[in-house]
Amino acid sequence: MSLLNIQGLSLSYATQRGAVHALQDVSLRIPRGGAMGLVGESGSGKSSVVLALLGLLGEGAALTSDKLDFDGKDLRQAAERLRGRRIGVVFQDPAAALNPSLTIGFQVAEPLIQHRGLAREAALARAESLLGEMGITRAAEVARAYPHQLSGGMKQRAVIATALACEPELLLLDEPTTALDVTVEAQILDLLEKLRHERGVSMLLVSHNLGIVDRLCDELTVLYAGRVVEQGPCAETLSTPRHPYTRGLLAALPRVDRGRMARLAPIPGGLPDLKQPTPGCNFQPRCPFAVEACATPQPLLDGVRCHRAAEIAGQPWPIPELGESVVRPVPEALLQAEGLTRSFGGGGLFNKRAGIRAVDGVSLQIGRGEVLGLVGESGCGKSTLGRLVLRLLGADSGRIDFDGKNIPAEASSEFRRRAQIVFQNPDSSLNPRQTVDEALRRPLTRFGIASGAKATREVERLLELVRLPASYRSRYPHQMSGGEKQRIGIARALASRPDFLVCDEAVSALDVSVQAAVLNLLTDLRDRLGVAYLFISHDIGVVAHIADRIAVMYRGAIVEEGPAAAVLAPPYHPYTEALLSAVPVVGAQSRAESRIRLKGDVSTAPGEGGCRFAHRCPRRMGNICDTLTPPVREFGTAHRIACHIPAEELAAMPSAMAV
Amino acid sequence: MTSFLARRFASVIFVLWAMTVLVFAIVHVLPGSVAHMILGEFATTDAIAALEERLGLNQPLYVQYWTWFTGLLRGDFGMSLTMERPAGPVILEALGRSAILASISIVLVAILGIGLGIHSATHVGTWSDRGLTLMQYFFIAVPEFFWCILVIIFFAVWLGWLPATGYAPLHEAGFWRWAQHLILPVSTLVLGLIAHVSRLVRSSMLEAIESRYVLAARAKGIPERIVLRRHALPNALLPAITVLAVDVGILIGGIVVVESVFAFPGLGRMLIYAIDNQDIPLMMGGMIVITAIYALANLAADILYAVLNPRIRVSGSAG
Amino acid sequence: MNRIPRTLLVGGVIVGVICILAALGPWIAPFEPDAFNMRARLQPPSTTYWFGTDEFGRDVFSRVLAGAHHSLLMGFGATIISLVIGVPLGLIAAFRRGWTEEAIMRGVDLMISIPPVLLGLLILAVTEPGLLKTMLAVGLVYVPIMTRVARAVGLDLLAEDFVEAARARGEGGFHILAREILPNAWPPLIVETSLRVTFAILLGSALSFLGLGPQPPDSEWGLMIAESRPFISEAPWIGLAPGLCLCLLLIAVNVVGEGLRDLLDPRLRGRGH
Repeated sequence: MSLLNIQGLSLSYATQRGAVHALQDVSLRIPRGGAMGLVGESGSGKSSVVLALLGLLGEGAALTSDKLDFDGKDLRQAAERLRGRRIGVVFQDPAAALNPSLTIGFQVAEPLIQHRGLAREAALARAESLLGEMGITRAAEVARAYPHQLSGGMKQRAVIATALACEPELLLLDEPTTALDVTVEAQILDLLEKLRHERGVSMLLVSHNLGIVDRLCDELTVLYAGRVVEQGPCAETLSTPRHPYTRGLLAALPRVDRGRMARLAPIPGGLPDLKQPTPGCNFQPRCPFAVEACATPQPLLDGVRCHRAAEIAGQPWPIPELGESVVRPVPEALLQAEGLTRSFGGGGLFNKRAGIRAVDGVSLQIGRGEVLGLVGESGCGKSTLGRLVLRLLGADSGRIDFDGKNIPAEASSEFRRRAQIVFQNPDSSLNPRQTVDEALRRPLTRFGIASGAKATREVERLLELVRLPASYRSRYPHQMSGGEKQRIGIARALASRPDFLVCDEAVSALDVSVQAAVLNLLTDLRDRLGVAYLFISHDIGVVAHIADRIAVMYRGAIVEEGPAAAVLAPPYHPYTEALLSAVPVVGAQSRAESRIRLKGDVSTAPGEGGCRFAHRCPRRMGNICDTLTPPVREFGTAHRIACHIPAEELAAMPSAMAV
Repeated sequence: MTSFLARRFASVIFVLWAMTVLVFAIVHVLPGSVAHMILGEFATTDAIAALEERLGLNQPLYVQYWTWFTGLLRGDFGMSLTMERPAGPVILEALGRSAILASISIVLVAILGIGLGIHSATHVGTWSDRGLTLMQYFFIAVPEFFWCILVIIFFAVWLGWLPATGYAPLHEAGFWRWAQHLILPVSTLVLGLIAHVSRLVRSSMLEAIESRYVLAARAKGIPERIVLRRHALPNALLPAITVLAVDVGILIGGIVVVESVFAFPGLGRMLIYAIDNQDIPLMMGGMIVITAIYALANLAADILYAVLNPRIRVSGSAG
Repeated sequence: MNRIPRTLLVGGVIVGVICILAALGPWIAPFEPDAFNMRARLQPPSTTYWFGTDEFGRDVFSRVLAGAHHSLLMGFGATIISLVIGVPLGLIAAFRRGWTEEAIMRGVDLMISIPPVLLGLLILAVTEPGLLKTMLAVGLVYVPIMTRVARAVGLDLLAEDFVEAARARGEGGFHILAREILPNAWPPLIVETSLRVTFAILLGSALSFLGLGPQPPDSEWGLMIAESRPFISEAPWIGLAPGLCLCLLLIAVNVVGEGLRDLLDPRLRGRGH
């Protein structure tokens, strides 16, 4: 008998504008010891499944289900008794899931006191050992600490410890690693894998990240707009997807092992209206294989909800053509920055504190029409660097030359016209009180490029450039989706016809399918207009798709830099190696021995002097790494690595990509 | 935490000093000489000169300030002009009586305000919650002094249950009579504040109840009432401390009015008396004392908040 | 724009009616507000004297009408003063940061450390009280709070990306303030302002009650209530009439404030002050 048996789960929420059907007839089974991945993008309803299982849906939620069983017991009555005892939960954001006013130790011990009847001291002792099992080395210290004193990775380990305290048979995980850096994510995934192995705990993993699901789960359920569209064994489904949506998702995924030459295939269109579920296939409007018959109700047959699944199996998913005339990057430097430094938080009134060096003596160079991808995790200073380069933030020291001319701290209007920025968050990058027309017109008038009727034509041209209809001119930001707002942000940046664009995590806040579209757009624009980009991202897979050259940044300095293909292949800087090894890639059969894992995370402070990565480096050589600044080694055409490890050893490294 | 507290303490000292300057400046720098104010329009120049000599008003301003300020530090508030006695003891006596009103009020506001707020938040949408919200609207809209009038009309005049004015010291008149004189003033003081505090506690409690960590606690299988008590409540009460501190300020304002209406011989009434009768030393002394109390109340609240909030109490990282 | 909430409509209508009555007061009052008539003193409410008469035989209804404008002017005038001084200070503090901000915020902290009534007393104790001075005093009392709110709103907005986008275009401070910040700042500021009106009316009438507002024979409502005290037992209507009108005005203004909050920023609902 399955441990978890869901049949025909439907969920709707009452809202001011009518009932929203978040889940429609969802069924899945998890055997004892099995791991099921529940995959979908935002709006798929996947998080609601977790809350529904636990009986923690709020007011106004109407749940119907043929079966909702855990070990034969009906969860609709039993959930309250089973929570924390036989079913454990790990939520997405560990900072929010932990009570800021209680110690970690107590929060882990609480279910033990509640369900196992342990006395307080006994429970705390057990909690401490549990934290140790989760890989926390200084467990006693952590148990006495409060959440705000811990890093993200530590907090999530504590949350997992809490979930496992009473040794539940089923673990529900809702986007457990989304809020974490990729190297920390890899550690947590290792932990989860180990737990599954050692304790035989069953898992329901909810995530939008197919790579993670591939690593941890045996089986896969794909949700689209509240409906199950495909179900089956994980490896098989991901290598040969049958439903068009699954195929679309996989085609839209940026993969670090494919690089620039592979084109991403976005899924056009948007989510259907959940207030009025279509009787037929809800993916039809966006499906390239749609036919008339798709409008009839589609049952789930043999794990896929598509009547054409077998027919279209052989047909490739359409990938958009590359645009015309690819303008090749010119070798001459457009932007040259030397020795940029910027600290924050330094100096107090009474005792001068040394600030944190967000950017420490960084030099970089970008050619005309070239894309330099800047990769790093949280706190490495990449966003700060992006702003320093545009003189949006004052540098403590350093020099910037643009097109041969020095750019002073108070940049000229001419520089501003030619160097622009695209932001990460589509919700805050547009003025909510301005229409698209006003937002796009302003740069034109500001720089004296056009006005009046000429400006109107220019605005229309810009909209066309970002593939939005001209009718969008009168729209306000709240009337547009995230992807559309992001395109307007790009259009605004391009309005003054710049030569250089800083893209600060420009696609990070978007769903995978939308991300693919915007990424393609940026690539096309670069090809057509010859604009140079400083493309900043924490996701090396995304960067691999667009960058000509890549620079890897760690705690304020660039540790490796070179042509994209060269950086993604050995020789590597140890950090790059760890980064590539950590990225969960779909279809990768990563062998445990080849995985490189970093200890701790970015917040563990380095010592003074020496290599800033030494204290976490798996290839640390000894004292020399802690005391001497690493020399810069050159490999091939402008491929530079700053490391003490001798060049020959670096060149002999195996490929770190988990393929 | 120590640096935070040190800064707050320094801030309190600064505020008190600045208040002395402010009070002094406003009283002495505004048009019309002080002596003129005291003696009135028809005073002869001789009389004015004599008074100025007597009060030391013909000396340069900074000297006058310094004399007064150093006097304050010694505890000498100067001589009351109207009562022919040192101002200090008068102020202290009045302070003692106002303190009774204030402390009873604050305790009531804290208990009832927080209690009603929590009840409201845990019974959202029920009649008691809606009733409370309605009453809150109502109480906030009624001015304090009008409450006093209403309450006097109702309880003192029509029902005759309670005395309308005055005060009977505890040791003289016995407990019941002493309490009787306090009931009306205290009730008018607390009504508006209870409405205010309960409203805030309600929304802060609701915020805690709807938080992620409460959801996570429920997901651990912790029973609801323990979740509310152990997880939601402590986090909801932290903002309440700050609010109570601000309310002390409003309470002070209320006390001035209430004492005036009920002829309660406290600090507020003394202040009004001093203003009406141009008793400068009493006026300045009273204002300084009231400001000091308010500043100390805020400091106490800040200290309490810092002690109870782990994010301020414990800093640095662990593990 | 969404539909106008019912609260806003109802409250707005009541406030509007009171304003109109206050403006028309002198012309529509049945009697002269300060006409003594010792034969008709202390009369209970009747068809001739809708609210009765006071100790001098003056018609209470006419006096209430004549005094209405004081409370309105107090509320709105004082609030406008605090708005006009406080908002620019707060926005400058948010914009400039550094020393300017420190100085402004220290000043604000200082003034907030003084209980409101006390500050009002302080200012009025040493001058000849009257409507204008009281309005000014109340306005000054609330400047620090407006400054704080304006600064918080300013800081929030300055952190938004679209403001940084404007800086990336090299826009000057004035453009950013006028085109990016202010259009987004006024909803929360309006909400705060509407709350202040209630407090301004309360504080103003309390000060008048204490004798520090408009002087007799003006019939400011707080003053009327104060003057009614000796006759509380014989003629309670003298104090009840202006008191109830004051309550009505305050409730209406409060309701308008809630309505504005619902309209402009539903997130702030239930947050009270």
